[in-house]
Amino acid sequence: MGRYVVRRLLQAIPVLLGTTFLIFAIVYALPGDPLQALAGDRRVDPVFAQTMRELFHLNDPLIVRYGYYIRDIFTGDFGTTFRGLPVSTIFEGKFQVTLNLALMALIIEAIVGVGLGLIAALRRGRWSDTGILAVTLMLVSIPTLVSGFVLQLVLGVQLKKSTGIDFFPVTGVSDGWRSYLLPGAVLAGTSIAYLTRLTRTSLMETLRSDYVRTAIAKGMPRRRVLGRHALRNSLIPLVTYLGADLGTLMGGAVITETIFNLPGIGQQLFTSVYLRENSVVVGIVTVLVLIYILANLIVDLLYAVLDPRIRYE
Amino acid sequence: MRVTKGAQIIAGSALLALAVAACGGSDAPEAGGSAPATQPVRVEIAEPQHELVPGNTAETSGAEVLNALFIGLVNYDAEKKPINQIAESITSDDQTNWTIKLKDGYKFHDGTPVDAQSFVDSWNYTANGANAYEGNYFMGSIQGYAEMNPVDPDGEGEQVAPPATATTLSGLKVVDNLTFTVALTNPFSGFPTMLGYTAFYPMPKAAFGPDGKVTEAYGKSPIGNGPFKMAKPWERGKDQAISVVRNDDYKEGKAKIDAVDFKIYLDLNAAYRDLQAGNLDIMDQLPAEAIGSAKAEFGDRYIEQPSSGIGYIGFPIKTGADYAKNADVRKAVSMAIDRKTITETVFSGTRVPADDFISPVVSGYRQGACGEACTYDPVKAKELFDKAGGASLGAIEIGYNADGGHKEWIEAVANNLRTNLGAEVTPKPVEKFATILDDLGAKKWKGGFRMAWIMDYPSPENYLKPIFAANASSNYSGFNNKEFEDFLKAGDSAKTLEEGIAAYQAADDILLKELPYIPVYFYQTNGAYSQHVKNVKIDPFERIDLFNVEKA
Repeated sequence: MGRYVVRRLLQAIPVLLGTTFLIFAIVYALPGDPLQALAGDRRVDPVFAQTMRELFHLNDPLIVRYGYYIRDIFTGDFGTTFRGLPVSTIFEGKFQVTLNLALMALIIEAIVGVGLGLIAALRRGRWSDTGILAVTLMLVSIPTLVSGFVLQLVLGVQLKKSTGIDFFPVTGVSDGWRSYLLPGAVLAGTSIAYLTRLTRTSLMETLRSDYVRTAIAKGMPRRRVLGRHALRNSLIPLVTYLGADLGTLMGGAVITETIFNLPGIGQQLFTSVYLRENSVVVGIVTVLVLIYILANLIVDLLYAVLDPRIRYE
Repeated sequence: MRVTKGAQIIAGSALLALAVAACGGSDAPEAGGSAPATQPVRVEIAEPQHELVPGNTAETSGAEVLNALFIGLVNYDAEKKPINQIAESITSDDQTNWTIKLKDGYKFHDGTPVDAQSFVDSWNYTANGANAYEGNYFMGSIQGYAEMNPVDPDGEGEQVAPPATATTLSGLKVVDNLTFTVALTNPFSGFPTMLGYTAFYPMPKAAFGPDGKVTEAYGKSPIGNGPFKMAKPWERGKDQAISVVRNDDYKEGKAKIDAVDFKIYLDLNAAYRDLQAGNLDIMDQLPAEAIGSAKAEFGDRYIEQPSSGIGYIGFPIKTGADYAKNADVRKAVSMAIDRKTITETVFSGTRVPADDFISPVVSGYRQGACGEACTYDPVKAKELFDKAGGASLGAIEIGYNADGGHKEWIEAVANNLRTNLGAEVTPKPVEKFATILDDLGAKKWKGGFRMAWIMDYPSPENYLKPIFAANASSNYSGFNNKEFEDFLKAGDSAKTLEEGIAAYQAADDILLKELPYIPVYFYQTNGAYSQHVKNVKIDPFERIDLFNVEKA
């Protein structure tokens, strides 16, 4: 088990190197002068541009610039944005926000998605099953942009104005965990739908299997059959989905972060790609890749917990 | 100056109810030792792009904060003319050598006096190319700038620029504590109008570390000379609000509010929601989508006034395609654009039709100066276009950057030209504006292009010289006109502001005849404020006059 984890972590190193170079090259290949993008509609001041070019090695070829970048990383310097903000500061402040948001979304989708799927599977064919399916269809079809604005307006603005209840903050992260409730729910929307259907299918299949029938036949209590035998065995595809989803949620939160004014990495990534700030883009993506790898590793380890037949040597 | 405001998608409106004051308390700043017990006034900004240092702030959000912390040599009156603030007098006999005398008694927040040296130190630091400050180019007209900012001989590439031969501006001399002189490279009668801008604020001794550099601590918690001071340091990239409190030792009296929180928003729509919910007090720019309903929702708390931006369609008149070189075609194009409909429908009232090359926010603007050329007249336009043989000169291209929300209005213009002139028009999206500017610089761009300008200082000169003078940095049209240059020179060396304005207007008339660019719209400021505040005024730089804001 320990050796397995170490091997998986070692495998991550070439993946990380490859990713950083790939992203670095892609950002490098984007058209246009990054300093001009920085200056907006105005012609970039030549003196300013000259100083910046030297400072950020912008005149050097791709491979040399990548070399500088990797060298700096090994000395613990992750670089700065063109506007002098250290990338490490961005990590400190902004990753936490996006991580909080993604975790909140993950919790919401796990509770709501699995819950709804459970009900749908147990009441297969009845109106509640059909109703839940209809709801998931709606969740899939409403874009984040719409659900975000509607929830913000109804629960954030209108609720406070009509009743004085100030439970859901309209924007920002200054209200602790409550700040993440609405954006988390919005971000979780589509995933809730997938998870509901996944749970339903997976559980229904397990419920039809022989060992469940046997358990029921020998008079085991229904609750125990469900919890001990059926649900546990249907969890593997769900855990796989949730693990992969953490990365997606973190990387795909740009719109939600914008609507709710959460200072996360989604927004930062967007700006930095626009400005071609290599060090920031590569830094953020690398950490995202790392999170993705770790989440998948944890998922794989969970398999063994859920299904004792799986062993890692 | 750049505008750091975005705009996105929103719909819906609601009447702002009386918000319960106690409700919004959760985002108050952490109370320091002398923090006020009451709710600060909350103002929307985007994240300032740099640490809060005057010389490195060339965008609207940072300038908004610094405007609360600092005052400059001059301020601007209702006619947008400079009036002395710290300056006792700003005088010159030849418009080149200026003597600036300061009023006594102004103090920085740390108690040190605002003297001539504090201005000279601050300007020298900003002018130093090695510091890569964004406000660097503002010092370009002062003698000694060239020695401090040697230019790479081949632009970029093999050769490198020679090392700087000076670290201070030779044109700045301290005469005594309250007097200093400024020598410009060329006469400029509008020099005093520049001095109220952020880049020209003074900095105290405490700003500089032992190595002569502006310290990191200063950038987080700048010591200014204005009506407000920092309540606590601002950590860029982390803190989502910048908190300032009243400076009770301010020479001109006490501000009427105790504290201001500048709340950082990524998106105007999010801020607008907070304004509706009573979590925000002042927005100096509303999201475009909200403007239709904001008028009704905020009533007399809705602000609408011209801002300094102008949107154009430009042509490379020397190196472009045949239609771009033809002045009559350009005039016909201008007359065929239905500015009123475009500003009202495409921009939902956030722009107004342009009728001059000089913006309404500066003195020197003449309403309707453009006359016939900017008046929508499809019949006359078609006549002119046909007489100039426009249809035979090929399809008219109009380039725009697809990332900036320009597609709609460029398409609208293209449709105007198709219908009214019978011309073939190809709107040409380009991923980034920089691409167009690069191609124009290399004389490779042949067709029309969208263009915009936001002023650096409220002088008509700033709408003419940087864009249309023969060797100006932002001259993309290739416009080069002897008479125009002469009028600019006359304006620059005029004895008084008024005389200068008359000369600049004469230069403006030549542009209006030649139309290297076609002015299409002026930008507008559309702001609103909550019921918690009153007496909210916004100046030509789109800065809020926080000194006079009152609690309602």
